[in-house]
Amino acid sequence: MTTYILSLVFAVVWVAVTGSGTLHNLIFGFALSTLSLWIVREQMSARGYWRRMGRILSLLVLFFKELALSAWKVAVLVMSPRMELKPGIFAYPLTVDRDFEITLLANLITLTPGTLSVDVSADRKTLFVHAIDCSDPEATKRDIATGFERKIMEAFR
Amino acid sequence: MIAVLIALLTALLILVGAGFALVAAIGINRLPDVYTRMHAASKAGTVGSGLMLLAVALHAGDLSTLARALAGFFFFVLTAPISAHLLAMAAHKMGYPLHEQSVRDDLNDHQN
Amino acid sequence: MTAQTILSSALWLALVVLGLSFLLTVWRVIKGPTLPDRVVALDMLVGIVIGFIALIAIRTGFTLYIDIAISLGLVGFLATVAFARFILARGRGEEAPEAKASPVAPAAPLAPKHKRATSRKPGAGPAVSRKAKK
Repeated sequence: MTTYILSLVFAVVWVAVTGSGTLHNLIFGFALSTLSLWIVREQMSARGYWRRMGRILSLLVLFFKELALSAWKVAVLVMSPRMELKPGIFAYPLTVDRDFEITLLANLITLTPGTLSVDVSADRKTLFVHAIDCSDPEATKRDIATGFERKIMEAFR
Repeated sequence: MIAVLIALLTALLILVGAGFALVAAIGINRLPDVYTRMHAASKAGTVGSGLMLLAVALHAGDLSTLARALAGFFFFVLTAPISAHLLAMAAHKMGYPLHEQSVRDDLNDHQN
Repeated sequence: MTAQTILSSALWLALVVLGLSFLLTVWRVIKGPTLPDRVVALDMLVGIVIGFIALIAIRTGFTLYIDIAISLGLVGFLATVAFARFILARGRGEEAPEAKASPVAPAAPLAPKHKRATSRKPGAGPAVSRKAKK
């Protein structure tokens, strides 16, 4: 993950330094930074760069799909004449345990339909999620566990 | 022909974005408590302004504008959940109540 | 003919819709019974203004407006973070404690919650001072 961000940052820096924001230049900068990171791969111990990047991209696609879906669901809920709300906060047991992954998961949960992460317990084992429809928290938990959390595990482990 | 197509797409993005902004504003007025209002503001609102930025990128059609608009879009999408999360946490820590329709509050049981 | 007409009519319509949502959000800022409500609405206002800026960028063709939109987004985000810290530091303060909860007895599962929320309030004092020192 760090290598991916790094090479992207390097590509942007390349564009900024060379001062021509064409697509070719950006791609060239990306290739250049990937190459230079590949040269120092021993020090960074980044194996499976391309496979990992594919998984990160699939996570990104899932994220935007869920974002669109969630905005749509909120819109439908708000415009329905009689709002049947059962809001509530449920505890979600975390499987991921690194800070970065928890942050990512919390952000993704916030942007999925009807859920909003509120707090993480001090021992980092539980994420508290506010759901706009809390009538079936078990199903929501299952969705998160099989959707985002698994994808995050795949992408960053 | 291409110009008309791009104009149509831009118009569509603008209108959908404005529609989401309106829905978020209605939601912020109709929903019963802080936490549910955050749902409307952080999702529909973000998507609304993000879509309008994408419309600018599409309309301008040159790469540096596209890059900046995309950067702005990503920035909004990344910061909106963080600010919603912080606000929700602050409000809950300070004991602002959930609406009385709420069915459960595990966080409160956990804290006490 | 068409490209320009389509665009300008869509822009007008979108400006009207955005203006309407702006007013609705301002109404929540004015009315919003608690501080977090107002902060949420202010956060939302920043988003709407970013939409306005994007529309004006399309209308005038000045792409520099995008940079303004990005910096406004940054300022809005930082303001929201600062407000969240402020809510944490101030506590519930002087505003009417049960402004939003209905005057009738709350539903059974939440009944103990309110009691706890109020009983927790004295405990908030030292926590606040700890935060302030940080």
